[in-house]
Amino acid sequence: MAPQPSISEGLVTRPMVILFAVLLSLPLWIEAVGLYQYLGIEIAVWMIYALGFNLLLGYTGLPSFGHGAYFGVGAYAFGLVQLRLIESLWLGLAAGILAAMAAGALVAGLISHRRGIYYALMTIACAQVFWFVAVKWHSVTGGEDGLLNVARPALSFGILSASLRGNTALYYLAVAILGLTVVGLWRFVHSRFGKALQAIKQNEMRAGFVGYNVWLYKFLVFTLSAGIAGLAGSLFAMAQKSAYPDVMSLHSAGLVVMMTLIGGGFVSFWGPVVGTAVFFLARDLLGAFTETWLLWYGLMFMGIVLFKPEGVVGAWQDLVRRRRTAGATKETGSLSHHRG
Amino acid sequence: MEFVLHLAPHLLNGLSLGFLFALIALGFMLIIGVMELINLAHGSLFALGAYVAMVVIAPGASWWGPLGKWYVAQPLTLRYVLALVVAPVILAFVGMLLEICLRRTYGKDPLYGLLFTFGAAMVIEELIRIVWGSAEKFLQVPQAINGAFLVGGLIYSKYRFFAAASALLLILLVWLFLERTPYGAMIKAGAHDSEMVRALGINLKRLRLCVFGFGTALAAMAGIIIAPIWGLRPHVGVDAVIPAFLIIVLGGVGSFWGAVLAGVLVGLAVALTAVYVSEWSLLSMYLLLIAVVTFRARGLFGKKSILEV
Amino acid sequence: MAARHMSRRSFLQKVGLGAAGAGVAFYGPWKHNHVYAAKADKPLLIGLTTDASGQYGNSGEMERRGMLMAIAEFNKKGGVLGRQIETIHIDTETTPATGTRVAERMITRHEAAFLMGAVSSGVANAISLVAQRYGVIYLNSNSSSPTESGKDCHRVKFVWDGNGTNFGKATVLNAINAVGKNWVLFTNDYVWGHETSKSVRALVTQYGGKIVEEMVIPVGTRDFSSYLLKLQQIKPDVVNTAVGGDDIKALRAQVGQLGMGNKPAWVQNQQDWPDVYGLPLSGVFGIFGTTWYYKLDLPGVKEFVAQYQKMYPGVSIKVPGNVYYNGYMAARELLRAVERAGSTNNIKVIKELENLKVPAKDRMQHFDAYMNPATHQMQQTIYLATANDEAAWKKDNDDLFKVLAWSKPQDAEDTDAPKACKLEPYEATPSYEM
Repeated sequence: MAPQPSISEGLVTRPMVILFAVLLSLPLWIEAVGLYQYLGIEIAVWMIYALGFNLLLGYTGLPSFGHGAYFGVGAYAFGLVQLRLIESLWLGLAAGILAAMAAGALVAGLISHRRGIYYALMTIACAQVFWFVAVKWHSVTGGEDGLLNVARPALSFGILSASLRGNTALYYLAVAILGLTVVGLWRFVHSRFGKALQAIKQNEMRAGFVGYNVWLYKFLVFTLSAGIAGLAGSLFAMAQKSAYPDVMSLHSAGLVVMMTLIGGGFVSFWGPVVGTAVFFLARDLLGAFTETWLLWYGLMFMGIVLFKPEGVVGAWQDLVRRRRTAGATKETGSLSHHRG
Repeated sequence: MEFVLHLAPHLLNGLSLGFLFALIALGFMLIIGVMELINLAHGSLFALGAYVAMVVIAPGASWWGPLGKWYVAQPLTLRYVLALVVAPVILAFVGMLLEICLRRTYGKDPLYGLLFTFGAAMVIEELIRIVWGSAEKFLQVPQAINGAFLVGGLIYSKYRFFAAASALLLILLVWLFLERTPYGAMIKAGAHDSEMVRALGINLKRLRLCVFGFGTALAAMAGIIIAPIWGLRPHVGVDAVIPAFLIIVLGGVGSFWGAVLAGVLVGLAVALTAVYVSEWSLLSMYLLLIAVVTFRARGLFGKKSILEV
Repeated sequence: MAARHMSRRSFLQKVGLGAAGAGVAFYGPWKHNHVYAAKADKPLLIGLTTDASGQYGNSGEMERRGMLMAIAEFNKKGGVLGRQIETIHIDTETTPATGTRVAERMITRHEAAFLMGAVSSGVANAISLVAQRYGVIYLNSNSSSPTESGKDCHRVKFVWDGNGTNFGKATVLNAINAVGKNWVLFTNDYVWGHETSKSVRALVTQYGGKIVEEMVIPVGTRDFSSYLLKLQQIKPDVVNTAVGGDDIKALRAQVGQLGMGNKPAWVQNQQDWPDVYGLPLSGVFGIFGTTWYYKLDLPGVKEFVAQYQKMYPGVSIKVPGNVYYNGYMAARELLRAVERAGSTNNIKVIKELENLKVPAKDRMQHFDAYMNPATHQMQQTIYLATANDEAAWKKDNDDLFKVLAWSKPQDAEDTDAPKACKLEPYEATPSYEM
């Protein structure tokens, strides 16, 4: 009986602490390495987005190529609340999450009985519909010009209140929300629900036979993932002070797929986080030297799909394992089993 | 009667658009049928074909020297016909290269093939952007098919007519190839039952390679024909791959005439909605797709296929 | 294998540290006004937020060249305030979201002193939101939505192009009197298209005409056949097009091919030079507005054109047009304003620009130009043009236009704009000096 690999099931794990040490100290060193604070906000926001997305791709094996739609819906909902209703952070975030969940539920209801390629195709088509509506419904969304002048409401807890107008302040809010998301999702994927999802990924039919209500699980995880995307979208709308339809485009939705996969979303909880960091650093560091960085990134993605679908984290895990079990038999990686 | 007369030009418009859509979908469908693979890079290859044709017609680079000068001085019609032949051949090689890379993903979860072609689509689009820039480019067409002609007091574009006719011709040629030649029979057999094909001694690997190349060449031809209507920019590939998907699903995977009929239906839907609610006409395509997949996933004439796994 | 568990104490410690850090971030004193020591020998960095791709990629390139020309002229004379001028350019891709990101980067990472460049009003709007937040002066060189000097105006933003209302005033009354009352509107589906069509609609109604139908054209349309078919069926007197960039180029090509350029009468609100250059004469149908033409019979024009050809010998557009001109003028006037103000402090330069007056000779236009301090838009001569005579065009294929008339800026002024524009007060604008 082989020893089980150690998966920390505690509330907070070492990788989490390292991540947050890096993120919380970012404003101190970001400018010294030649980057800028706004980038930090973007990275935090997309980490939330990618983590939610990976629930679908990595944990349940559902290819959602149109996830940008829910990110965008969240951004628009947040913006509309600030512009038309009231300048309130909590109400805005709640609206973003709920609107995105509603959109996600609508789509999930239509597609959860499918899987594989039809599923992917439907997610694209539905995302295109949302994108189309966002571009055309001028009076509500501002069309291609976007929803502009979205205020950054103050962060208030009753009597205490802090302004989020500066990029650094907003960054810390984003990191705080990222923290909650990370802890929450960590618990979630280690719960019974999470295990059921992984069973569905391995073999949907078998999971059904064993007694899981596969349709319901797929429906719920899609809706949840959409809600998290909506949360990220709301934060992004705050960062940009506007909401645009182009996050809903196929190109943009494809980016999150690539990020997640390259990072190692198929095998690790931290895949999306690593992948997001890699993408943005590539964009701003490589992009400063060459306009063709996206080409190299895409080629890297293709290479990883062919040769190492476990991604960066998967490669790292192999390295660690090989060092640890030097001399012992090599274990072959399995994409269907998620490690921490 | 007045109503029909009023609608007639739009119907014609829709019909011609439909044939063009069907042509785009054809190459896509062959690949799905035989390879059991969704080639998301179909749209980018479509665009690349048009760009390569543009280069064949007007090389532009001065480093061709005196040879280049002589070449550009030749009549446009000659160069255009040359492009119609050369560009699809070049693209067929590109397609075959893709297929060779894809071999690693056979037997694994079809998701990998999907992701790989998705990556390929982005990479090809970026390549186009790097080589030719993002600005709008023009594909020159011979004067003979350019311009306008009058029918019943209304002006129609000669080129659109030519494009639709070419599309129809190509569709018929492909059908003839599939039905009346031994190679076509092999392709149809491979689509139906690849195991049996291999058992019968046909080199399945080579068959797949050729089909991928053929499908890509068709995509390139579609690109060359449609480019003067849709414009030539790196992103035009996405505008092609979504309708292709829709048509395949609507017509039913594996059904040739299903795809053609579906193409015509989609073309008519887009053209007619453009008359009444012009801004939302493209949306009709997506709504149609969603409705069909939700209620009748096999489409009009489809059989059970890889897509339903 | 012991589970890597975090003990409760160390967990609480780490959370506490994190919370303390966050607390400082939220409640600490944050300076909103940045004042940096501007060394006399530190070069002045100007951020060029022009499009290099997308619908307005061609125009973006032209206006960038205009700006670089003006900057080169200043650098030859020793720079501005004794400092050499450097530029940084990032493609805004005719996409508002990219515009936001580019502006943030240029200001926070590169510490650009000023930002300039825009053809798409959507992008200009997005950039100016970011610029206003930091207090960085932003020159909207070429985007002409009436809202840019109306409800989307900002204290730091200055508009250098004529807008849809200016051109509308010049074109509409003429067309109603000369051609007819039944109009169809072609509207490009974004802010410039919508706002321009809105103001044209108001003008047409004011002068006794009627809008029979408005067709909305999505950005990126290449195939206009269904719109043209509908047009043939409606048979209006005039078609007013608020369509720009690559779209208008494609529309012109198709209408020219179909021979529809004469009937109905076409009015293009404003025709940018890069979008018509290279078309055959049949594609230059209708009448249209512009702010400048390279064959105007005015002093300085020939030299200006020659300078362009000297600095940019290999480019496909062989003579400059209004887009290049607007970019040049915007950059030149900004640098002159900085010289007059004696510093790069944003409030000082803004005050200089608000009172700007440029004589006609200096503008190479027929009338003096002046900045409207209430809307921050430059008021200038508006030209009406149409396609040149065939004989003249055969002599010189670049000479596409025949200038018909020119209006005084006062006559073409957008009188609604000052009501809609609410500039942020000086006190609310952070001070910025690089």
